[in-house]
Amino acid sequence: MDVDPRQYENITINDNDSHNIVLSYLIHGCFKDTVESLVDSTGLKVPASQLEDMEKRKRISHFALEGNALDAIALTEQVSPDLLENNKDLLFDLLSLHFVELICSRKCTEALEFAQAKLTPFGKVQKYVEKLEDFMALLAYEEPEKSPMFHLLSFEYRQHVADSLNRAILAHANLPSYSALERLIRQATVVRQCLSEELGKDVQSAFSLKEFLKS
Amino acid sequence: MGGVEDDEPPSKRVKASSRELRGLSNGECLKEPSSCSFSACASMARPLALQGDDEVIGSKGVKKVEFVRIIAEALYSLGYSKTGAYLEEESGIPFHSSVVTVFIQQILDGSWDESLASLHKIGIVDETIIKLACFIILQQKFFELLDGEKVMDALKTLRTEIAPLSINNIRVRELSSLILSPSHRVTDGISGQEMVKSKPRSELLEDLQKLFPPTVMIPEKRLLQLVEQALDLQHDTCLFHNSLVGETSLLTDHRCGRDKIPSETVQILPDHHNEVWYLQYSKNGKYLASSSSDHSAIIWEVNLEGRVSLKHRLIGHQKPVSCVSWSPDDDQILTCGVEEVIRRWDISSGECLQVYEKGLIGSISCSWSPDGKWIFSGMTDKSIMMWDLDGKEMDCLKGQKTLRISDLQTTSDGKLITICKENMIVILDRESGAERCIKEDQTIVSFTLSGDNKFLLVSIVNEELHLWSIQGNIRLVSKYRGHRRSRFIVRACFGGFQQAFIASGSEDSQIYIWHRGSGELIETLGGHSGAVNCVSWNPANPHMLASASDDRTIRIWGLNHVETKSNSCIHHCNGAN
Repeated sequence: MDVDPRQYENITINDNDSHNIVLSYLIHGCFKDTVESLVDSTGLKVPASQLEDMEKRKRISHFALEGNALDAIALTEQVSPDLLENNKDLLFDLLSLHFVELICSRKCTEALEFAQAKLTPFGKVQKYVEKLEDFMALLAYEEPEKSPMFHLLSFEYRQHVADSLNRAILAHANLPSYSALERLIRQATVVRQCLSEELGKDVQSAFSLKEFLKS
Repeated sequence: MGGVEDDEPPSKRVKASSRELRGLSNGECLKEPSSCSFSACASMARPLALQGDDEVIGSKGVKKVEFVRIIAEALYSLGYSKTGAYLEEESGIPFHSSVVTVFIQQILDGSWDESLASLHKIGIVDETIIKLACFIILQQKFFELLDGEKVMDALKTLRTEIAPLSINNIRVRELSSLILSPSHRVTDGISGQEMVKSKPRSELLEDLQKLFPPTVMIPEKRLLQLVEQALDLQHDTCLFHNSLVGETSLLTDHRCGRDKIPSETVQILPDHHNEVWYLQYSKNGKYLASSSSDHSAIIWEVNLEGRVSLKHRLIGHQKPVSCVSWSPDDDQILTCGVEEVIRRWDISSGECLQVYEKGLIGSISCSWSPDGKWIFSGMTDKSIMMWDLDGKEMDCLKGQKTLRISDLQTTSDGKLITICKENMIVILDRESGAERCIKEDQTIVSFTLSGDNKFLLVSIVNEELHLWSIQGNIRLVSKYRGHRRSRFIVRACFGGFQQAFIASGSEDSQIYIWHRGSGELIETLGGHSGAVNCVSWNPANPHMLASASDDRTIRIWGLNHVETKSNSCIHHCNGAN
């Protein structure tokens, strides 16, 4: 290839492409208002069905983030039927969110009954056993926040589950599960790292996105 | 005992007063018996109790209180609870302090909360122990609730009582999982293997007793344990202890007489035509193999009465045969011609099955791999060769691995042992290449590996035998002296009941036998008219020894009394046990 990787500044970029990249990120993350704003400013066209789907995914994610796993599951079933059937890991994660909710509201009896009804069947499969034990351990503590498993109650954990669910829904609809923006950044990182290794610079100067954005 | 009684003044006063009355009858108390009021007794009580605690019996500082308590424990263990209770009463020494007695009853009754309260009153100083005890008591409560299908109560116990102890979070986690599916408790999926159902309360009590300091609860069967220790000690110091036969009696100290050590020649085997250099019993004790400078080896059969007869003469070597090596299952044998070849023979047919050689380089030692598939041999060029059974060369460990004159042994886990330098023996792991060494101050002449592969008996040029432990840290265990060795290779062996003896040949034509543990020389056996080169003790018969001598004979040694032909002999000659 003729183009020297170091002369990347010579490449022209289409405005439309930039906008689409940003748009893909926003749609992926369900930022509805921002999407509408961008569409107005740039004149890009987004199909209505895509906007509707985004709206649904947004609601699902919010349910998950709030810990309202049951509604999240119900809506997911509507949007992507069979998704959870075929993705037991995700189903388990969602059900466990509900369990955690019950624990946090100190509804121990309900939590136990729910676990016995919905979570026990997972225990028959070896790979879920340890996860199940992690969650069950929460039952033993009057203050689950102080137990060794406190991370299961955290916002970060719920976000992680919501994120996985979001990606799974997109994948189910045959859409990319990672936005264009994310993919581009990953590729750029890899390319930069290869280049710096090839040029013989020491590995310490591996590509850091943070540094790049500051410079 | 002492301070615990502080909570129980009334009973203490009662006991103290009975002691005090005894004291009174001995004239120790100055007050008149009739004026001995309750309060007077109380003020007297403490000093007398302390005096009782320190009382010693015998001359080794054995405390009377402890002695009586372990006797009481022995009585209770044997089921004589009435006698036990009477002993407590008559001696005035309680088996357990009253708090402990109450505690025990509460555990057996399942009154968990009360038992926890008692636990704190027992007077155990170590906080960790108290916590652990609480944990296992509550765990029992938890399991019993689950057994009784009281899931929510079990959960409550877990949450409010067990988890707050903050010990053993892993166990807490397991217990939580059990709540989820009590009916599935038997499967492996949810919990670990141990403790899936509540154990009997008596077992819980045993666990607690092991946890507590011994003064709180006397360890079970402690008296029996002490007696058994004494018996072990007696056996260890018995220099001639060489049989299982004979009962162990508590009534007299255990002492064997010399009559259990083989010390009389029962057979002389003159079939070799020249000096007999080596001999060894098979592991099952049914055969004896000997090798001689007459270029042959002989397989002997040991019959049920302990009588040895010639089975096969193995002819084929063109040089003196320096040693033999039995295969791991005693069905074949290797013989080594001095700086010549190795031959493999079948025991039942006496046929030579294979010859192992490497061009012009001669062999000086031979050994089997533990699975019987490979043959090892030290060579004159100081390397170690490895062949498969058909004679194909598999490996050659080059460099100075062995000496021109050296033994070679293989351990049961496949390590090779050989003399690699004048004063060094190497234990070589062929696969990993790791080497461990025994370093001596003087030249090493020969060595013998014990049957359990844990010890090496090394013969040194200064006429000493050194016993080394080779498992774990290599260390010198004992030394044996007395035999004569100045010019030739003279070999020693382990033997007797539980390998308790060391026997060695000697250049003064005698056999020397030492008690392994104490190092004491206990027998010298005369009879041969030439240097005794090698001895072998029958692994299956502690009363049978064989010796090989320059006088061209092999002698078989047995017990020194006429009853050798009696039932006891038939019982264990020829490894029939």
